[in-house]
Amino acid sequence: MLSAALPRPIRRYFDNWFDARNPPSRDAIVLHNRRLYILPTRFGYLFAMMLLLLFFAAINYQNSMAFILTFMLTSLGIISLWHTHKNLLGITVRLQIPRPVFSGETCELKFEVSHANQSRRFAIGIQYAGEAPVYLRLEPAGSTVAKLKIPAARRGQFKPAGITVFTRYPTGLFHAWGWLKFDLPILIYPRPAARVKLQHSMVEQYDGQVSTSTIEGDDFAGLREHREGESLRHISWKAYAQGRGLLTKTFQGQARPTFWIDWEQLNEGSLEDKLSFMTALVLAAENQEQKYGLRLPGTAIEQDFGNAHKHICLQALATFRQTDLNQELELEPC
Amino acid sequence: MNPASLNLPIKSISQEVATRSSIFAVCFCFLFSIAPHFRNLPIWVSLLVLLALGWRSLENIGKLGPFPKWLLVLLVLIGGIGVFAEYWTIVGRDAGLALLTVMTSLKFLESRRHRDMLILVFLCYFLIATHFLFSQSLIIASLMFATLIVITMTLVILNQREENILFRDLLNTGIRLVLLSIPLMLILFILVPRVPGPLWGLTSEQRGGITGLSDQMSPGKISNLILSNEVAFRVDFKGSIPAQSKLYWRGPVMARYNGYRWSQELRKGMRRLSVNASDSSIEYTVTLEPNGEPWLLALDIPSKLTRHSVMTEDYQIINKKKINDLLRYTIESRLDYQIGLNESRDYLALTLEYPDILNPETVALGKSLAARFERSEDIVNEVLKMFREEEFFYTLKPPVLGKNVVDEFLFGSRRGFCEHYAGSFALLMRAAGIPARIVTGYQGGEYNRVGNYLIVRQSDAHAWTEVWIENQGWLRVDPTAAVSPDRIEQGIDSALSDEISGFRIRNQNPIFGNLLYSWDNLQHGWNDWVLNYDQRKQMNFLSQLELGIENWSDMVFAMVFLLLSVTGLYWFIAWYRERPPKPAAYEILFNRLLKKLSRRGFHKGPAEDTRHFLLRITQRDFPQRELLAKIVELYNRIKYGRQASSQSALRDMRSMIDSIRT
Repeated sequence: MLSAALPRPIRRYFDNWFDARNPPSRDAIVLHNRRLYILPTRFGYLFAMMLLLLFFAAINYQNSMAFILTFMLTSLGIISLWHTHKNLLGITVRLQIPRPVFSGETCELKFEVSHANQSRRFAIGIQYAGEAPVYLRLEPAGSTVAKLKIPAARRGQFKPAGITVFTRYPTGLFHAWGWLKFDLPILIYPRPAARVKLQHSMVEQYDGQVSTSTIEGDDFAGLREHREGESLRHISWKAYAQGRGLLTKTFQGQARPTFWIDWEQLNEGSLEDKLSFMTALVLAAENQEQKYGLRLPGTAIEQDFGNAHKHICLQALATFRQTDLNQELELEPC
Repeated sequence: MNPASLNLPIKSISQEVATRSSIFAVCFCFLFSIAPHFRNLPIWVSLLVLLALGWRSLENIGKLGPFPKWLLVLLVLIGGIGVFAEYWTIVGRDAGLALLTVMTSLKFLESRRHRDMLILVFLCYFLIATHFLFSQSLIIASLMFATLIVITMTLVILNQREENILFRDLLNTGIRLVLLSIPLMLILFILVPRVPGPLWGLTSEQRGGITGLSDQMSPGKISNLILSNEVAFRVDFKGSIPAQSKLYWRGPVMARYNGYRWSQELRKGMRRLSVNASDSSIEYTVTLEPNGEPWLLALDIPSKLTRHSVMTEDYQIINKKKINDLLRYTIESRLDYQIGLNESRDYLALTLEYPDILNPETVALGKSLAARFERSEDIVNEVLKMFREEEFFYTLKPPVLGKNVVDEFLFGSRRGFCEHYAGSFALLMRAAGIPARIVTGYQGGEYNRVGNYLIVRQSDAHAWTEVWIENQGWLRVDPTAAVSPDRIEQGIDSALSDEISGFRIRNQNPIFGNLLYSWDNLQHGWNDWVLNYDQRKQMNFLSQLELGIENWSDMVFAMVFLLLSVTGLYWFIAWYRERPPKPAAYEILFNRLLKKLSRRGFHKGPAEDTRHFLLRITQRDFPQRELLAKIVELYNRIKYGRQASSQSALRDMRSMIDSIRT
């Protein structure tokens, strides 16, 4: 709004100035004086105009009480400038490491807002670009968590930008704000394509005839320690009841086919379509608890399965050919 | 690059839908601000306000739907036309207020958003100012102070953005904001350089309901005024207050007579005043309540004028403007004087006129007196003797008289008030060939023992006469004094103690009396210090302080300096009260340990538990492992243990931490 009206060099100068004063933080952002800005709201300007009008009316009518009212409201303005600034000063904001989401979903950012002062703070808002803000209050030396939902429109790794913590309390005449720039990237996986089946034509079958213990099979082979990520369906609840801990039933049988999800195998569609498709394949393979590997131009991820493996594969897909890995999140508001 | 850096997210916030509690608050706030105006507004406007607020409140709790749009448009039209029909204008104080009220009420019916609510609250602030166009009394000022707190609280409700707000928090914030503003307001009030107004032409608004003297006198006119206990003016004397019987406050002088009504003959021109050299002038300051007329009251007879005023040849002071606001002026008078020694023949002829056909008996009596006595003084004394010795009564409730008022009074009822006595006396004099005229004004006044000043009320209104005698000029003759000496010597209350009740309360109950006098003193101080604080008063006050504040730039400098000092003090007090508590001694010691460890390369994570951190260190090859374990154990015992952190435990902890090598 304001920046658009300025010539480009001046705008760049201002932006650089802002950036220099607001370095992105990995840890917590403390809103000290250097990071805090305050300007009148448009109601503040309206209020100022009303004061001017009252002042001239008071002079004209030589009306002492009108003078007193004018000066009283002016003082109220000064006091609320101070109060609004004070309401935000010294607040600490910490961003919890954001969980990855798929493109098209909403990403939930959790901000821990706290302060050490013996004051109550009201109506502290956190807002992303032009979206509806969330408001919170702080008890003396208290802390609270604010959740901000941001639409994840594009795949990739982004740093949230354009998020402000602000307040207009108590009178709404002034808008005090600080920028929340964190060095914690949000990972947005590609949007999974719909209706994908693991088809042999697309998946290179690995010719392994090794007979191995898997959790799926025909003949019961024994129990082994439960691994994280394995389905609860395969836990031996009987053994658990006997107090032997979480054990997974294994079966002897012909090993399931293992897959390579390979970029080269896909011919049709754009880059994003291909990535979407591959994402869906990763999810499908993971769902069927098959071992799978991922091959992208320049990268290969060995065959495995489980949550950690899935995450590595999806991250590779998310950041594939993303030019700037630290690009800031600039998404269209819904 | 950060393209969003200067984009303030203002728009979307004000577009938000107002919360339910904020709508109620704004409705209440408006009602509170407008209610004192109901007596200044046409009844239909007041009803419209109640309708709009009622509908909006019911809509807010879901009992009514939104107000129909077409009806709203219709009401806007009807409201505008209605105001015009009421006042035949839409500008000016009264019509402007009515229009503002109508439009604000209707605005309520279509307000949904946070932004609309803010605008409505600002209109409420504006409404406070309109009250001061009607009255600036201490009571209205106090009421408006309460209104200011209510409006500010409403503003806080709007900006708190919570549905359930504790009233305690709200009252706290609202009152704090207003109270903290008061010292700043005082600095601004005292030091903002005042400019003499007006800046543009004012339409003089006729004020209704003001009681005061009239430019005419007929039987019954003044006795109506007597019933009003309102203050006409207050007087601070520079020296001592003259005797009650000398306190004749000169107002309109009436020389024209039509047999029933006395009226003014205004002559502007040279005045000559010869005064007794031994008599010193009396200086005093009058604080005159608005009377809607241009007359200034002065003690008989004014010798030195105030600015912006002229004196007529009848020694009546006329202000340049009608007195629609409180006016304060300092003036001088002489009590021993001679006026009108060289009165013009034309004027003397006018003061001898009376209609022949009316009051034949009075005229005959006057003529017979002229035949009996040669000297004018003897005629005057004879008539006064008649009033004194015959059965005349001084009363507020005279019987209604017919066409020949003076005849019926002098030879019939013989019950009357000052205007009956003054009127009939003047007519008798004229019939006897002595020029006579009526002077109206006030007589006496009530001494306020708390504030050492004189209160003159409308009930002190009085009428007396002046007769012209060769070589003596105009002489004051008060026939009422002959009938009721108490009236002149002790005041209206004691002369009519059966008919007026206020006197008894003030004088027979000393405590209540003092309370009333204190209240009046407060109002007098208010008038003096607040309402009359203009450019002159400001300069006087600042030079009295002797701080070297002499001109505009000094004032602005002092103002900025004081504002910064006071806000700086506020800032410090708030910082001191809200600062984080000082960490306990063991925490400070423990932080010293952590610093030592981090110098050796062991960093405690921001969310890491102490025990976990210790475990992590002891798993590494740390030489003073046992000592560290001891320190942490001691720390935990002091922190979580039942016994308070004793000095010896702290000393142990300190010595152990000191022996950790870095």
